[in-house]
Amino acid sequence: MHLKKRYSVHQELRAAIYIGVLLITAGLGLTIRQYFAQLGDIAIVGSLTAGALAAFLYCFVKGKPWSDGEFESPNILFDYVLLFGCKLYAADIGYIETQFSLLGDSWHDYLLVSAALFFFLAYRFDNRLVLSMALSTLAAWFGFQLSARFVSFHHYYRESAIAYSLVTFAMGCLSHRFAVKKHFFDIYLNFTVHFLLVALLSGVFEYLFASWHLPAMAAAIAAVAVYSMRTRRFLYMLYAILYGYACLSAVVLEFTHGAAAMYIYGIVSSLAVIGLIFVLSRRFKEGA
Amino acid sequence: MSISLYTAEQEERLFIWREARAWARSGLITDEQMGGINARTDPGLNRTNVFFRILFFLFTGSCVQAMIGFCAFVIQIRGEIAIAWSALAFGAAMVGLAEYLVRRKSLYRYGIEEALALSGMALACTGIVIFIFQLHMELRPLITTAAMLAAACFFWLYLRFGFLYAAVISVACACVVPFQLSLPPAGERTIVAMVLAIIFLTSIRAEGSETRDFRKERSALLQACLLAGIYLAVNLRLPELGRAHFGNPAPFDQPHAGFPPLFYWTTYGLTFLVPALGLYLGLKRRKRIVINISLIAALLTLATNKDYLGFEHYAWDPAVLGVVMVVAAIIIMRWLANGSQGVSNGFTAQNLLKSEDHGINPADLGAALLPGAIQANLPPSSPEKPFAGGQSGGGGASSGY
Repeated sequence: MHLKKRYSVHQELRAAIYIGVLLITAGLGLTIRQYFAQLGDIAIVGSLTAGALAAFLYCFVKGKPWSDGEFESPNILFDYVLLFGCKLYAADIGYIETQFSLLGDSWHDYLLVSAALFFFLAYRFDNRLVLSMALSTLAAWFGFQLSARFVSFHHYYRESAIAYSLVTFAMGCLSHRFAVKKHFFDIYLNFTVHFLLVALLSGVFEYLFASWHLPAMAAAIAAVAVYSMRTRRFLYMLYAILYGYACLSAVVLEFTHGAAAMYIYGIVSSLAVIGLIFVLSRRFKEGA
Repeated sequence: MSISLYTAEQEERLFIWREARAWARSGLITDEQMGGINARTDPGLNRTNVFFRILFFLFTGSCVQAMIGFCAFVIQIRGEIAIAWSALAFGAAMVGLAEYLVRRKSLYRYGIEEALALSGMALACTGIVIFIFQLHMELRPLITTAAMLAAACFFWLYLRFGFLYAAVISVACACVVPFQLSLPPAGERTIVAMVLAIIFLTSIRAEGSETRDFRKERSALLQACLLAGIYLAVNLRLPELGRAHFGNPAPFDQPHAGFPPLFYWTTYGLTFLVPALGLYLGLKRRKRIVINISLIAALLTLATNKDYLGFEHYAWDPAVLGVVMVVAAIIIMRWLANGSQGVSNGFTAQNLLKSEDHGINPADLGAALLPGAIQANLPPSSPEKPFAGGQSGGGGASSGY
């Protein structure tokens, strides 16, 4: 009886196509990187442009009509064809910029144009993957990159991250307020929360009580915790508690000297957090 | 006789509740029906959601560490024997506390009892190993004893509390033993693969039609881990996978990876056979996790095939592998779609059960990292180009102002 029920391999097929698309893009990138001198600019730019256009054309032909709400893709492949097209476009435009530097000092405007295109495609075809790409491209326009410089979080990056988080939060709120793809709100909020809290936390580490970062951090954590409780989204409570604990530890340990005091702080703070989560856990259970 | 702290009835009820929750999420049952199932499947255990469980685990672990550090600091524990006794005492106390919390407070995968039991067992093992160290044993017998002890202790933890990761740690510790027996590398791998295969086959044979569903689910997870272990033991080219595809593309200098030719070619055959058998078994018995592990193993077999055969790698190899995956997925989708109502032999490509939505998932995060990855693969700007020097990324996440 148990073995005769319908068995869906939907997730497995999606995962295979997703990994396949990632591998194809990685292979294309490696091929271009290694053979760009032999292939020539025209062949590379031409093939990437043609590939991206073909993918977008497929999506516009096969895609369902616009809807404000969430809708299913026409088939499993569809979402990944769109993602593939976006990746080819990104590689194409990146190659053109790296090799010809057409915009000179205004090169970063490419990023804004790319982000705008990705936002449009994400909304048009209800694609969360492309929305994530759009948000990270927008972050790149704000000056962020995957490098050690970003991790070190200089003064400049801190302000930029706060600005970026406010922009993404505003975009998410607008999308939610006007009921256009309301289900995208969580993706916006995840980007907002991390950029904002990391930026504020770095400010707390640097200035402790001597700046507005500490009260701002406390307010942001409280807001995230309240949102989590109201919407019963426990992931945000995880963020609030972890960032909050890091912030508290940064402040307390600055004024704590000696091994014994540090151990006592470790014991007391951990027990306090366990108690807090326990109370929250009971409260959520009662509210269920 | 079961030594588990939870009864089979409780586990069965939890299994039914989890299944029902997935059905409710996917709209297959109504809220009233779900309410009815909730009322009838209450196992009388205190549970929490995955995020609170993570937090409980982290902060209990942190608290335990701070307590041990504080006690060691205050009591001024010095000398190996004193450290060993202390570790043993702390470990026993923590495992005891975990048991107490399960028995009296009915905690089930709450994070607190997990952190206590795991760290307690690790401490107790450390204490015993320090005692054995006092016997002036040589390093290899000491590691062998420690690995066997850890394997036994964590397996007991699995039986007692049902933590699957404890079983995985136990098997991983057991796998260390053959590598300490001064055997040739081929012998070490053979013993590991054979031991894991014996456990795997025993686990399969132990399952009958009357086996409860929660036990089947649990054994499927264990079998998937064992299958992964067997595959890791037999694929000799796996350690150099990254270097082969994204580093130096030349074939490896060492013939047969330093192993005897017969052993080398036998493992080559096994890299195909193990995923195939796993896939067959997973599909036949409807074990999703076994199917997924087998598919990953099959993908790794394709990725290491050129290394096994000594062929040179090309930059486009990942793309070819990607095309193979996409085409295979399309063929399977077509085949399934051709069946009656999109079902062929009981399998369908339709999404029957929705997975839990936490707002963001690993695929979204992967997509967010893509622009940076694309930028990293772009060729450097060429000095002979008239406008060289600019840097950016299309959707790229690189270059500072």
